[in-house]
Amino acid sequence: MGTAIASVGHFLPPMVEHHGVLRPIAVDPIGPSTLAARATEAALARAGLNATDIDFIIFATTTPDVTFPGAGVFLQHQLGCGTIGVLDVRAQCAGFLYGLAIADPFLRSGAYERILLAGGEVHSSGLDDSEAGAATARLFGDGAGVALLVRAEESALLGIDIHADGRHHREFWCEHPASRQFPTRITEDDIRAGKHFPKLDLEALRTTGAISISQSMRTAMERADLGLADIDHFIVSHVIPEVADEALADLGVEASRATIPARRFGHIMAGALPIALSEQLEAGTLAPGARVCLAAAGAGFAWGAAVIQL
Amino acid sequence: MRNSRILGVGRYLPPRVVTNDDLQQYMETNDEWIQQRTGIRQRHFIDRDLGASDLAVAAVEQALANAGLTKDAIDCIIFATLSPDVDMPASACLLQEKLGIPGIPAFDVRNQCSGFLYSLAIADKFIKTGVYEHVLIVGAEVHSTGVDLSTRGREVAVLFGDGAGAAVVGPEPDSQRGVLVTRLHADGKFAEKLWLESPGSRARPRLDIDVMRDPRASIFPQMEGRYVFKHAATRMPEVIREALDAVGMLPSDISLLIPHQANIRINQAAAASLGIAEERVVHNIDRCGNTTAGSIPIALSETLDAGRIQPGDLVCLAGFGAGFTWGAILIRW
Repeated sequence: MGTAIASVGHFLPPMVEHHGVLRPIAVDPIGPSTLAARATEAALARAGLNATDIDFIIFATTTPDVTFPGAGVFLQHQLGCGTIGVLDVRAQCAGFLYGLAIADPFLRSGAYERILLAGGEVHSSGLDDSEAGAATARLFGDGAGVALLVRAEESALLGIDIHADGRHHREFWCEHPASRQFPTRITEDDIRAGKHFPKLDLEALRTTGAISISQSMRTAMERADLGLADIDHFIVSHVIPEVADEALADLGVEASRATIPARRFGHIMAGALPIALSEQLEAGTLAPGARVCLAAAGAGFAWGAAVIQL
Repeated sequence: MRNSRILGVGRYLPPRVVTNDDLQQYMETNDEWIQQRTGIRQRHFIDRDLGASDLAVAAVEQALANAGLTKDAIDCIIFATLSPDVDMPASACLLQEKLGIPGIPAFDVRNQCSGFLYSLAIADKFIKTGVYEHVLIVGAEVHSTGVDLSTRGREVAVLFGDGAGAAVVGPEPDSQRGVLVTRLHADGKFAEKLWLESPGSRARPRLDIDVMRDPRASIFPQMEGRYVFKHAATRMPEVIREALDAVGMLPSDISLLIPHQANIRINQAAAASLGIAEERVVHNIDRCGNTTAGSIPIALSETLDAGRIQPGDLVCLAGFGAGFTWGAILIRW
């Protein structure tokens, strides 16, 4: 038994100009759960399923609607799926790949039949919109994508590979609120110092990004027992689009066979991969049966890759 | 498909003990009021900069020693917390750095009081399907830096303590032993009955000086205690029965119930409705308060150290909390 992908869906808020670039930006009081609810409606309609057919939800996000509980229960309530289990996962830019890795054994072991895996972010409400912060703020966008995963005889998750290396966690992080700060995890001084905004060490991210992505893609393809020529499309998510270019070049994949989500709508950490996947299906550039290699690297530092068959 | 089992458990509580009387330095409260409503006599608070991952290190070392394994045997880190060291990334990544085991997957589970149950369920499926051989699961919290330690915040602040628990999960070849069944639930209808609203991405801006000074105190956790009590006292026995039904067992088969430690009255009510005698229910809330994701592994570690669990015992872990989320897991030891 294995995991099949019954359908995917996505939702992007309207594109607006944001620090000189066009980005999908949510408006008050929209959190990732609301974006994911719209994406789920699209996915359910495509699959001919109802919200009540879902028996478990996994939500990957770095920007939950509120500090706690997680975004997943807010999504569950908006969809009206009763009292099924809801798991919130934090794996930053690799969140969707981690979600796939977690969902698969739940389906294979027979614990669940249909899992909704959501990846979504509202970054824009937590960025430094001052002139000093513009260079970072313009990197991000808001949006959500989902995949409806079902238990099936034949697995469509052909290969997966996930990793983390916490030694690099300061290279892409948001320090505050920091529970470790005694005696108060966030103060007005911390806010004046901008410690509640994400900080990126772009040079360090360039160093770790391309190598980790291309290695992980190789591993996922090996596990799928497939070569480059067997893959119909590559979707590579990194906050710096050029890092994705570099990873693809390292593998020898032509640019025409790949999508780099950050170039299209800014970086949407856990949302980028399912959004790009759903967009391509909607546009008809990917069709059922296509083999897609997904890869991401970013904060944590966490990274991974997966080969799926639509 | 093989089963999984818990190979070793450990815990760490920071040394500073804060009694109910000690809380009077921050707020108007008293020992009798707190004890009567919650069963709490004292809790542990950090006394310097320390995060959930720092508390977890000692708990993990103990869990590994009890499992007879070294850190290099760990294939994956799952960290359950609602009070991560930093806003981003996951505390699992910070723990990974401290343990010195780069490369393996590491992620956080953000499921509040049910976090350890959800994490154990994930670890169980990873082991069952042969993805990993040894999964480290941690439940750890530093609440004391994020609660409102003033008279305004006392309803919530008196309940919580800091602490960490950890378990190493590995394969169990005997299909009659180890983790027998996991059952998980949630109901987002009640998300705002026990929550921490700010910072939250749905508000613009999610955090600034105005949010810090918000008269609703949205920067601190808020709870409607009556709702939580009522639902917990119903949902916990319900999910325990569901887990028992799945494996054809009865409440009388449970050797030991180790519930999440939120309120001794909730656990007494749940046990009574199942007909489980008081001496078969583990409590440590009097000494630790509510350590959220940490409470079940801390209580499990104490119970094992006290020799209260024998091979062959049926142990039931159960919990309920913010989300609402809840669950139950049965383990044949």
